[in-house]
Amino acid sequence: MPIQFDNKMTWLHRINPSVKLLGLACLFVVVLFIHNLNVMVLFALGPAILFLFFTGHPFKRILLFSIPFLLIFLSTSSSMILFGKGESTLFKWGLIHITEESLYRGIHLGFRALIYAMLGLTFALTTSQVLLFYSLMQQLKLNPKYAYSFMAGIRLIPIMIEELTTIKYARTVRGIQNTFTVRGILSSIKGYSIPLLSQSIRRAYRIAVAMEAKRFTDSRKRTYYYQTGFSRYDLIFIAYFALFLSLVIFISGHYPLFPVVDVRSL
Amino acid sequence: MSRLKLTDILVTVVISIAFGLVYKIWGPLYYALKPLGFHLDQFIYGMWFIAAIVAFLVIRKPGVALLAEVAASSGEFLMGSEWGLEVLIYGFIQGLFAELVLMAFGYKRSGVIVVSLASIAACTGSLMMDFYKGYIEDLAAWNLALLISMRAAGSIVFSGLLALGIARALERTGVTKILRPASQDDFDTLSQ
Amino acid sequence: MPIISSFEKLRLKFPGTKKLLFEDLSLSFKKGEKVLLLGPSGCGKSTLLQALSGLIPNSIEVPIKFDRCTYPDSWGFVFQDPDTQFCMPYADEEIAFVLENLQVPREQMPKRISELLSLVGLDLNDSHSRIHTFSGGMKQRLAIASVLAIDPEVLFFDEPTAMLDSEGTKKIWETVKKISADKTVIIVEHKIEHVIDFIDRIILFDAAGTIIADGRPESVFNSYRTEFEKYGIWFPGVWDQYKATAPTYKTTDFQIKRELFLENFKGFRNKETKIKIKHAEAESADWIAVTGKNGAGKSTLLLSLIQLLKTSGTYQVNGRNITRNKDISSEAGFVFQNPELQFVANTVFDELAITFRQKHDGEELIEKKVSELLMLFNLANQRDLHPYQLSMGQKRRLSVATAVAQNPAILLLDEPTFGQDSKNTFAVLELLESYRKSGHIIIMATHDRQIIQHFATKVWNVIDSEVVVKEAKIPTAAEAGHAYSI
Ligand SMILES: Nc1ncnc2c1ncn2[C@@H]1O[C@H](COP(=O)(O)OP(=O)(O)OP(=O)(O)O)[C@@H](O)[C@H]1O
Ligand SMILES: Nc1ncnc2c1ncn2[C@@H]1O[C@H](COP(=O)(O)OP(=O)(O)OP(=O)(O)O)[C@@H](O)[C@H]1O
Ligand SMILES: [Mg+2]
Ligand SMILES: [Mg+2]
Repeated sequence: MPIQFDNKMTWLHRINPSVKLLGLACLFVVVLFIHNLNVMVLFALGPAILFLFFTGHPFKRILLFSIPFLLIFLSTSSSMILFGKGESTLFKWGLIHITEESLYRGIHLGFRALIYAMLGLTFALTTSQVLLFYSLMQQLKLNPKYAYSFMAGIRLIPIMIEELTTIKYARTVRGIQNTFTVRGILSSIKGYSIPLLSQSIRRAYRIAVAMEAKRFTDSRKRTYYYQTGFSRYDLIFIAYFALFLSLVIFISGHYPLFPVVDVRSL
Repeated sequence: MSRLKLTDILVTVVISIAFGLVYKIWGPLYYALKPLGFHLDQFIYGMWFIAAIVAFLVIRKPGVALLAEVAASSGEFLMGSEWGLEVLIYGFIQGLFAELVLMAFGYKRSGVIVVSLASIAACTGSLMMDFYKGYIEDLAAWNLALLISMRAAGSIVFSGLLALGIARALERTGVTKILRPASQDDFDTLSQ
Repeated sequence: MPIISSFEKLRLKFPGTKKLLFEDLSLSFKKGEKVLLLGPSGCGKSTLLQALSGLIPNSIEVPIKFDRCTYPDSWGFVFQDPDTQFCMPYADEEIAFVLENLQVPREQMPKRISELLSLVGLDLNDSHSRIHTFSGGMKQRLAIASVLAIDPEVLFFDEPTAMLDSEGTKKIWETVKKISADKTVIIVEHKIEHVIDFIDRIILFDAAGTIIADGRPESVFNSYRTEFEKYGIWFPGVWDQYKATAPTYKTTDFQIKRELFLENFKGFRNKETKIKIKHAEAESADWIAVTGKNGAGKSTLLLSLIQLLKTSGTYQVNGRNITRNKDISSEAGFVFQNPELQFVANTVFDELAITFRQKHDGEELIEKKVSELLMLFNLANQRDLHPYQLSMGQKRRLSVATAVAQNPAILLLDEPTFGQDSKNTFAVLELLESYRKSGHIIIMATHDRQIIQHFATKVWNVIDSEVVVKEAKIPTAAEAGHAYSI
């Protein structure tokens, strides 16, 4: 698994993975319905606090992970800011037409993307993939056929990455050189991608056969090595966002940062 | 609808996760192109539908396109995508739209036209999500038109033509044979 | 005794091929029998096991037809390839996966898991270890442990010890003996020395997949000696016979003398030192056997020598310093332990043709050279198959052929003879011997002590990642009687 570091366990790790995932899905919808710029900006603090302080990863690493977020923010907001519709012009130069409306809308979009990104990465950093699928089978009744296929697939990620090295080895040992002409590059891409895919398919096929040989069937009746259940951390997680959202709505109602209420009706 | 077998599911998931790796790399690339303007970024957007099409072309069974797109986006999500949970929802919608087109053709056809239509359907799905989420209708009209046409053209190129090329190259390696049921011919020669 | 598994008039054919692999094959197994299937490489032994277990056609859709059949109620299958049997990332999770399928209560799992692991001699500090970092032998033991978890009536073994050292092989078969008193065991295995006193029936196949003998081991070995020889199948005493008749090569005077020199050489995996050599040398006409237990670092050593892993220290070939793969690639040919890693083309023919195409040989010449190699390695009938469709032994031969095709000065081979019948083993060994005598250097990892005795000139014994250089002496007649310990 690419994301596998030595890190501390925090209360975020102890939340039931299904609860965490469903919680994120709810937050996704909630954030989709936030059209008030004030609410959006303040709400971003919620995921930010979790992401910065509670993933159990060293602060340096977290900062490193944050760099792409800045990019996302800038690039998501910029196209709306530069090219959006609007009346009250702030700046105009050629096709670029920045209006007050598009500026606010752009910032709004940027924050939304930022929230999604932080929530997603926090989830990925604090959730064991094996436990996630066990929990999906146990709490959300996901068909084991799919769950184990996903787990086997995820197990193959490092093997696939290694496979790329292996293909490189094989090509080296067999004396196939990479040339840097257009044709050379294209044939290299093909030389790597097609073997990678075809070997992955064969491997997947054999693993499926081996799984069936180990008595894996369609039946949902099975016991589980890892038991996932609910705990107070689930409640803390839900309460954290519920309280935070109420607080944000209250504050933005009374002490707005921006004069905007709804970015759509500008 | 015949149910997918474990081998079908596992192969689909594994192909998709391989593409999930590509999807993950595609994110930064997309953002890098964005500031260049003219919606160049939208042209490469089509890559994000390729898993659905390739998996379908390899396995050719109902439900594969949808499963593939969901699997690829979960792979991307679990590797810590810049878009977080959003990718899962986009993946689901895109896969569903591609699946619908393939279903309309009875999962029988797999030529350039059908594959391009499926890609455009997936593209439509992604645009619908953007309308809601990204306020793209608030872009200036010329800009919106450019965005849509760039994305549609890119879909045909990446998840249409490129996918077809990959599938044909895979076919030549003989790997797809193990996934297809044996033909009547083969059974007939057994009885001779 | 009741029949537990049988076929009557089995017919089987791979899609797209013209010939039937089995034509009206009938055989049956009684409860409690221990049966060994023997036959030349590629005759269909692995395929037959898959058909007997029902994996063909239930999981693998291959056209199959029969008049009558019996499938065992519960069975376990250990496959040839150690890398594609697992679906979970950790050893304990993999065994737990089987226990879950059998609905074993969770509380009993940890105990069962550690029992099973110690039963197969896989002593891990922590059962929660990543399978990915296991050596081939460790993986195979884990595979056996997870099959034993099923506690099946019938056990199918498809060369489960192909990758194991002799100690490991012995341990595995002892384990199998211990646990299988009341079970039916059907085995495909080329390395027969450790199973021979355990089985009570042998079924012998010829190259076309028909049964030529079926009976008690002693009587089969005694009455079908000529068939064993004709088809090149292992039988006890084959080595003695070979040694008695082995062709002798005259050492030709090689013009160019080559030498390889190592001092304070280290090879790294993930920044950890995984192989260390204080001092070692090799020169023309050396055949160096790299030996050692599973996981000792033999493959690591070979990968370091071909510069696919990071290394440090002095490494010279013909006085030239070697620091990158580029420095060595024109001098050395390489055979990976897993033959599949070797393949880059879509057909057996193209796989060999690549080497010559790079030298810009004409198509006609290529056709001629490749055909020669295919004949030499007994692969002529498989020329249009995808390398992955080959049987284990055929894959192994193709991988050796690709390395030989380059005609390199130094040949680095990682267990080039495992999973091979005797005819092909000797053919490969003799080919290598002729290379050696004409001045090439051969460095070969192997577990086979007969090969070491008969062919090696030096032994590099790898013990816990460290190489100890020894002279390989030809054992005297008196010594040959004893186990030659290295
Ligand atoms: N998918 C396939 N398509 C065509 N031919 C195949 C396919 N799979 C196997 N074969 C061929 O069928 C034959 C039997 O293969 P099998 O693996 O059963 O041999 P085997 O007796 O186990 O040999 P070995 O001892 O080398 O492992 C081989 O000649 C092989 O080339
Ligand atoms: N890809 C890998 N990544 C990290 N460690 C590895 C890897 N492959 C092997 N190792 C470790 O390196 C050590 C040496 O392994 P190696 O494969 O060289 O052993 P070997 O002597 O060839 O064993 P075998 O007889 O089983 O082939 C082992 O401890 C093994 O766990
Ligand atoms: Mg075999
Ligand atoms: Mg090895």
